[in-house]
Amino acid sequence: MAGARMGASVAVVTLHLETIGQMPCNPSIGGIGKGHLVAEIDALGGVQGWAADRTGIHFRLLNASRGPAVWGPRAQCDKDRYATIMRRLLLGTRGIDLIEGEATDLVVGGKAVCGVVLADGRRLKAGAVVLTTGTFLGAVLHTGEDRRAGGRFGERPSIGMGRSWVGAGLELRRFKTGTPPRIHRDSVDFARLEEQVGDERPRGFSWRTTGVRNYTPCWVARTPPQVQAIIEENLERSPLFAGQIEGVGPRYCPSIEDKIVRFPHHKEHTVFVEPETRAGNSIYLNGLSTSLPEDVQVAVVRAVPGLERAQFLRYGYAVEYDVVAPRQVGFDLAAEAVPGLYLAGQLLGTSGYEEAAGLGLMAGINAAASVLGKEGARVDRTEGYIGVLIDDVVTRDHREPYRMFTSRAENRLMLGVDSARERLMVAGVRLGLVPERVFHVEQCRWEARRQAITQLEATQLNPNRETVEMVLGMTGVEVRSPTTWAGILRRQDIDIRRVGDTLSGLAHLAPEDREVVIGRLKYRGYIERQEREQSRLVRLRGVKIPAGFGFRSISGLSREIMEEMERTRPRTLSEAAQLAGMTPAALALVAGRLATRGQGGKP
Amino acid sequence: MVKASSSRLSSVLSGCADTIVAQATANGSGALAIIRFSGPEIQAVAERLCPRLSVARPREAQLVALLGRDGREIDRGVCTPYAAPRSFTGEDMLEAVVHGSPWVVEEVIATSVSLGARRAVPGEFTQRAVANGKMDLVQAEGVNELVRAETRWQARLAREQMHGSLSGRISPLREKITGLRARIEASLDFVDQGVVLSDEELRGALGECIGAVRGLLASFVVGERVREGARVVIVGPPNSGKSTLFNALLARERAIVAPCPGTTRDVLEAGLDMGGVPVVLVDTAGVRSTEDIVEAEGVRRAEAAAAGADLVVLLRSADSPRETVELWGVEKDRILEVISKSDLLEVAPTGEDVMTASCVAEGGLAELREAIERIVLAPLQAHDGNVAINRRHKEALSRAQEHLERSLLAPREVAAEDVREAGEALEELLGLIDTEAVLDAVFASFCLGK
Repeated sequence: MAGARMGASVAVVTLHLETIGQMPCNPSIGGIGKGHLVAEIDALGGVQGWAADRTGIHFRLLNASRGPAVWGPRAQCDKDRYATIMRRLLLGTRGIDLIEGEATDLVVGGKAVCGVVLADGRRLKAGAVVLTTGTFLGAVLHTGEDRRAGGRFGERPSIGMGRSWVGAGLELRRFKTGTPPRIHRDSVDFARLEEQVGDERPRGFSWRTTGVRNYTPCWVARTPPQVQAIIEENLERSPLFAGQIEGVGPRYCPSIEDKIVRFPHHKEHTVFVEPETRAGNSIYLNGLSTSLPEDVQVAVVRAVPGLERAQFLRYGYAVEYDVVAPRQVGFDLAAEAVPGLYLAGQLLGTSGYEEAAGLGLMAGINAAASVLGKEGARVDRTEGYIGVLIDDVVTRDHREPYRMFTSRAENRLMLGVDSARERLMVAGVRLGLVPERVFHVEQCRWEARRQAITQLEATQLNPNRETVEMVLGMTGVEVRSPTTWAGILRRQDIDIRRVGDTLSGLAHLAPEDREVVIGRLKYRGYIERQEREQSRLVRLRGVKIPAGFGFRSISGLSREIMEEMERTRPRTLSEAAQLAGMTPAALALVAGRLATRGQGGKP
Repeated sequence: MVKASSSRLSSVLSGCADTIVAQATANGSGALAIIRFSGPEIQAVAERLCPRLSVARPREAQLVALLGRDGREIDRGVCTPYAAPRSFTGEDMLEAVVHGSPWVVEEVIATSVSLGARRAVPGEFTQRAVANGKMDLVQAEGVNELVRAETRWQARLAREQMHGSLSGRISPLREKITGLRARIEASLDFVDQGVVLSDEELRGALGECIGAVRGLLASFVVGERVREGARVVIVGPPNSGKSTLFNALLARERAIVAPCPGTTRDVLEAGLDMGGVPVVLVDTAGVRSTEDIVEAEGVRRAEAAAAGADLVVLLRSADSPRETVELWGVEKDRILEVISKSDLLEVAPTGEDVMTASCVAEGGLAELREAIERIVLAPLQAHDGNVAINRRHKEALSRAQEHLERSLLAPREVAAEDVREAGEALEELLGLIDTEAVLDAVFASFCLGK
């Protein structure tokens, strides 16, 4: 998409044209950390947020009671409409050719990639190739003892490609993910479920969107204690525990059998009952991801109050697939071993639509830039979650599907969804993916917010009778000593809505901008400290580890981390710090050893 | 001495650690001297330096000849090899006890240097012990303090600290804070999956951590008293017997004593050990109004000394008990009032707070000494005694406290940052984060061979 809009001629090769934009897992976009990614993708000119806005049926801002840094916008989308709109978008974009077929091999001329070979023998020439195999590469589906080759429900895997990459010098790794059963809407007793309505004032992701609305509520159910017994009895039939699945699954999104085994003291588990489309029949049971045999799935689901009569439309399954082990791509997402080959999406070991979209956008931009002889784009990890994501994929070794969390960002307070456009839109404009007039409108808005902050910081409030009464009336707070409006608004107990309509420094702003202003006021002192912290990190990054440094000679290190360092040979302390499983203690040992090593001043 | 600087971190060096050597005992002649070696090349060094030694028999003291570069015997000594990781540094080690001749020691060290060892910098053995996980930074400080201990209390606290009394309270606290931070992060990142940490629960957990930090901080007065000691200043009108008392407490004739007022004109200091705590005893000029420029300066210094004292012994003479000194800015509980020359006293004074003593008749002097000791040791009694933080600890713990207290009032996503920083302050304290400056500061004060 981005590549074509930058002026490159793009061919999109897919196994099935009708599966473009398909959401094999929960048709929801955003969430905490993931919502941040969508906002940044949108600021750079990507289309995911817009598509979610257009097809969303239930919008909710997670962490709304907290500050803007951790707001997590989330949209439940209409799965069918999302796929349709994405397909239409691809078809309608000038410069994109859609080709149905299976890419089975790379064409390498000299050292660089110069095209792909399709299964039917066609050869496509290209200056750069972006691979996004999702969960299809060497994929195997598991449901109970049933095991079949396939990338998604009802779709065949892609096998040929894997071999040619291993040949090209890329190390592969096996990951696993899963999905829960879908049941028929008419078989759910909604009256017995807890209703979760969308936000009163739903907000969209995209600058392209003028308004969004909620069409349906979602619901919450809870698994009863007997689910534990049902699963424990059938554990040996679980491909996960019977040893049939070797791929590593995500810890943060475990299957229900995983949850039962790992948290036996939790007597109930939450299940979000979410419609997959606005008007259709399919209901997604978020939280019940499973690869148990079909009869066990039925028993588990029907044990849940409200789902006793559940009719299955599709059973849950696990999928094992190949990914390219981390740290084999550069910051432009080009494979280091194969010039001209760019990688993105789940192939890089991430999970989720948002992570995939972030990587896809950046790989597309950089691949197109390399072909067009333009400057690509890079987001630093201090600039945005896309930067955190790519930095982690490039430098860190993650051993499970990688999902974004806000706690992955060192300077989280500066990377809220509210500031995504301020941070990244200028790059979108430079690449030609965001129109300048949009940027100008946005700039005015940012300026208004900044001015409001300055004004509120400057407005003195002295505890004379008039002022005390005014402030008390507007906020319920009694002014006892001289302060500013900013000082009052920083308090935790202020009702923003009550103040926002009447306070002169705020009333002219849109409601969401008022919240942003107040949130930023609350962060101020902390942000300054965080900036200092940042400069410390930059200093630490510089400390070099000499080539040939003997990590094995450091006693006190765990075997895992020692082997990890021997294998990956970090070149600086910051690279070492980012290794999977690295602890401050282990890092201090390395630093300490570096320190003692140097003391003799020997060459 | 090699200056420890940041450049050492980036120097390019090969493979694993080298082998270091240093004299562990004090410089100069002595009956015996100990030379320590640590590092992977011990065996290679020993093969040439003391070929009869069997490193295959670790922890066994073996009487062997030590040979110089020319192969001639330097001395015979008792050598004990240690095998990694069961040694002080966690590396292979060798301890050689030789005769305490500076020439012998230097010859042994020079020979081992020619065999590939390197002269250690101060604190390097302990630094390796820290780097190899044999102890944490706080324990390493205990080692240093034990080496330098001059009084019973200093030795006791240093020993306890070396054995982990303080680390044993900081480590669990750090783990608790790390766990709390994980819960805060989970409550932010997994709110959609029903992870809940209520504000009350968070405040409760933070309160516990703050309480623990405060408890440790309170032990600073103990540490300060034991490490820095106390200043006991004798103040009084001229000719009230200050210098006589000063000498009597020191048990030597340090100050000039004369029957004429104004004999002592400057401030005199002398150190002594009272009940295991170092005390600096200060004698001052008699306080009175005077035209004499020199004496007036002495009076000014006396008043300044009283202001900075941990304890003021305020004397007045039995022959003129009304003549006393008003001390401004010195709290009552820092003053011990004493009537001197009690042998001249006809009637015992009625006020309870006043002691009497005579240096001539020895009457009451022992009681006065005891009273001073009691006051000097008071902070130690008030505490459980096996933990006493120093300034570096206080600085890090105060920082942790500040962050924790701030997090009580902050929005949760900001509190997360503060809790992280509180944890980092403790990690720095234990030496778990390399802030090289910390390591440098700690190791800079080490003596060679430790």
